[in-house]
Amino acid sequence: MGHTATPEAQSGGLTATEHRLANGLRVVLSEDHLTPVAAVCLWYDVGSRHEVKGRTGLAHLFEHLMFQGSGSVKGTGHFELVQGAGGSPNGTTSFERTNYFETMPAHQLELALWLEADRMGSLLVALDEEGLENQRDVVKNERRQRYDNVPYGTAFEKLTALSYPDGHPYHHTPIGSMADLDAASLEDARAFFRTYYAPNNAVLSIVGDIDPEQTLAWVEKYFGTIPAHDGKPEPRDGSLPEIIGEQLREVVEENVPARAMMAAYRLPTDGTRACDAADLALTVLGGGESSRLYNRLVRRDRTAVAAGFGLLRLAGAPSLGWLDVKTSGDVEVPVIETAVDEELARFATEGPTAEEMERAQAQLEREWLDRLGTVAGRADELCRYAVLFGDPQLAFTAVQRVLDITAEEVKAVAEARLRPDNRAVLVYEPTAAEADDLEAAETTDENEESAQ
Amino acid sequence: MTELASMEFHPQPQAGQARPWAFPAPERGKLDNGLTVLRCHRPGQQVIAVEVLLDTPLDAEPKGLDGIATIMARAFSEGTDKHTAEEFAAELERCGATLDAYADHPGVRVSLEVPVSRLPKALGLLADALRAPAFDDAEVERLVRNRLDEIPHELANPSRRAAKELSKELFPATSRMSRPRQGTEDTVAGIDSAGIRAFYERHVRPATSTVVVVGDLTGVDLDALLSDTLGAWTGSPAQPRPVPPVTADDTGRVVIVDRPGAVQTQLLIGRIGPDRHDRVWPAQVLGTYCLGGTLTSRLDKVLREEKGYTYGVRAFGQVLRSAPDGTGAAMLAISGSVDTPNTGPALDDLWKVLRGVAGEGLTDAERDFAVQNLVGVAPLKYETAASVANTLADQVEQHLPDDYQATLYQRLAATGTVEATAAAVSAFPVDRLVTILVGDAAEIREPVEALGIGEVTVVAAE
Repeated sequence: MGHTATPEAQSGGLTATEHRLANGLRVVLSEDHLTPVAAVCLWYDVGSRHEVKGRTGLAHLFEHLMFQGSGSVKGTGHFELVQGAGGSPNGTTSFERTNYFETMPAHQLELALWLEADRMGSLLVALDEEGLENQRDVVKNERRQRYDNVPYGTAFEKLTALSYPDGHPYHHTPIGSMADLDAASLEDARAFFRTYYAPNNAVLSIVGDIDPEQTLAWVEKYFGTIPAHDGKPEPRDGSLPEIIGEQLREVVEENVPARAMMAAYRLPTDGTRACDAADLALTVLGGGESSRLYNRLVRRDRTAVAAGFGLLRLAGAPSLGWLDVKTSGDVEVPVIETAVDEELARFATEGPTAEEMERAQAQLEREWLDRLGTVAGRADELCRYAVLFGDPQLAFTAVQRVLDITAEEVKAVAEARLRPDNRAVLVYEPTAAEADDLEAAETTDENEESAQ
Repeated sequence: MTELASMEFHPQPQAGQARPWAFPAPERGKLDNGLTVLRCHRPGQQVIAVEVLLDTPLDAEPKGLDGIATIMARAFSEGTDKHTAEEFAAELERCGATLDAYADHPGVRVSLEVPVSRLPKALGLLADALRAPAFDDAEVERLVRNRLDEIPHELANPSRRAAKELSKELFPATSRMSRPRQGTEDTVAGIDSAGIRAFYERHVRPATSTVVVVGDLTGVDLDALLSDTLGAWTGSPAQPRPVPPVTADDTGRVVIVDRPGAVQTQLLIGRIGPDRHDRVWPAQVLGTYCLGGTLTSRLDKVLREEKGYTYGVRAFGQVLRSAPDGTGAAMLAISGSVDTPNTGPALDDLWKVLRGVAGEGLTDAERDFAVQNLVGVAPLKYETAASVANTLADQVEQHLPDDYQATLYQRLAATGTVEATAAAVSAFPVDRLVTILVGDAAEIREPVEALGIGEVTVVAAE
């Protein structure tokens, strides 16, 4: 039992109230008067997992169309009105949801609500061929910039496709394929809106320097008359066996600057203790510069230039434990792979030390403090827990759940899941001796796409 | 064929009463060892941000050892007189802290972020790192090798490759600014622990350094804490170093860094111009924003929202180095990527936009929008301790008064359309821009030459 970390964030005195309009729109409010700002966040329960074959990328392309005007808003007016009011808007699309958000000076909150309601209720009034053609080109350039024109840029896409079998809702990533982006029609976009963009398929959170009664009255005024509609198809089942059962593998020969070994391990779904335990396991193994893999590969063996593990939490399918090792000099991939396997096997046998648990919990705790430290971060987390787990309050207790995990649970998940027969491996072999191309978008969040 | 919506529409609401907000004023002090301290209490910010500035400009690096400031900065977290490298990393992470250090033209910046409950411990580690870094031979050798491994990755990144080429083009070969901040394969290979230690002893001391501490300091006795930690750091007094003026050749020209087969062309179009000491700065900020601050600015209005050539093009001004006498400079640039077949048309449109600003000027509506956004977003932008600490540290590094950012907002609001236009035009004159294109020369060379925006040369990506 290793953790002496004090539960710094816990709920941090934060509270939220929940409401529901007659049309089914769920509303979460959380007051914080320290700074005169208010964050508005709207999650629609639709992501790339809802897309059908031949139309990958549609959810994200559609997100762009949400910034091309609606009933009362001309052209790029959503951006203009929010930014002209001193606010900061954006939207992103992931496997499981599409979110739209704007942080506003507190006295401009009503404008943000009016804007979000306008597009929720009347997007199709403004949606036209010209806007679609333009944003199709923008999104294709987004794809080129973030994936196709950078070394290792398509690794995430390749590993995802390996990890989730053909036909699985998570087999493809939110950016979609060029061919499918080309194929998307105006009628596809209209049908997508009619199916998924309804008040009863969304959660609206408002966090910051707000008057809850007034805020709720505005929400009722602007969103209250948007009709609910049903008929949203259930997303295809994302469940899979706990273990892949074999090692999946793809070797990519490309013009990259160095050899690389990447891997995706199949892990427990988000919202479970086992997922939190996996988060701690990956942190001990590959989070930061005191982790086991960093110490082994970068410090001691000196076979890697960078080595780390990350967790992609997913609620509707197994989560992914994401390993990324770039080799040093002429080191070959089998050397890396042997070391990784040794470290993972040793960890599965020994479990974390008390000190490792303390460190991993302290790191995850700080990450939570960071996320909840801004009104925008808090609004997003409240929506996340409301949409994916049905209870926004879980956002405030998330850090405590991580601190409650025991070393035994961490060992157990490592033993069960961090095994060679439970991973997809992607190996990069450079094609040119003198590499003269590309690089990975290390700082971008590859599981989501944004409008700007 | 329009679709009728069945919701009830309302007129666009008016803004409520704005609540006052001001950029926070730091409290300034000095420790007995000469270390300057800026502190700022930000209620509710449980993650404390600590920034340390060291007066070790890249210009001070010994000849032939470009990158030594970078390796020194990294070596701060690789062991001290109390901990080995592995122990030090473990102790930091046990605090839930992050510690980053990097070297840039004005000096080295060390940034610590840590939950307030573990601030004392983390400040102790930071103080050890600065006061008694181990600079162990084997650790330095590892950092050097690691840095050498990183270089090919950077050269393969289109935007970093473009930045490297622009520096080389703009600045005279004798200037440190013409060469990569973190050194090249040749210079980094020559760095060792003895060199690092000599550099450290010559340039790093509390008397020429500053620490900025920002966050919720309720119940924290910061004076006692600092005195027990960074107060134990000793060093001789020294005068701040003079720095040479920044000069650049902005003769209009184009350099293509050839990447055969690239599906996009990375653009970086730049020159140098006034920094924050110049009276034109607020107008330059407004003009640059109107040109390329967001997707509704002039450039993206055409290149993205009308033509779909790009995911986004931005114009920006970034201070390179400032001096108390105002002889500093900022990099003024436009960057983005466009698809390969549309590279010529995109540049043509970009130049048309620049000529349009020069010809017809910005509109009052554009200027008002820029002011409302830049001034209005301040409370959002400075919500976290780290963002406040970073700006306070920038002010110190650029020899600006502690209330610079606070008064900048008033100056932006007082700047008119005519001044913003004039500043934008002199920041981006169409015949004085150095254009770097990282892309497929076989595809883009001809169309770019046809534009007449300057002589075109092609270099290998290497």
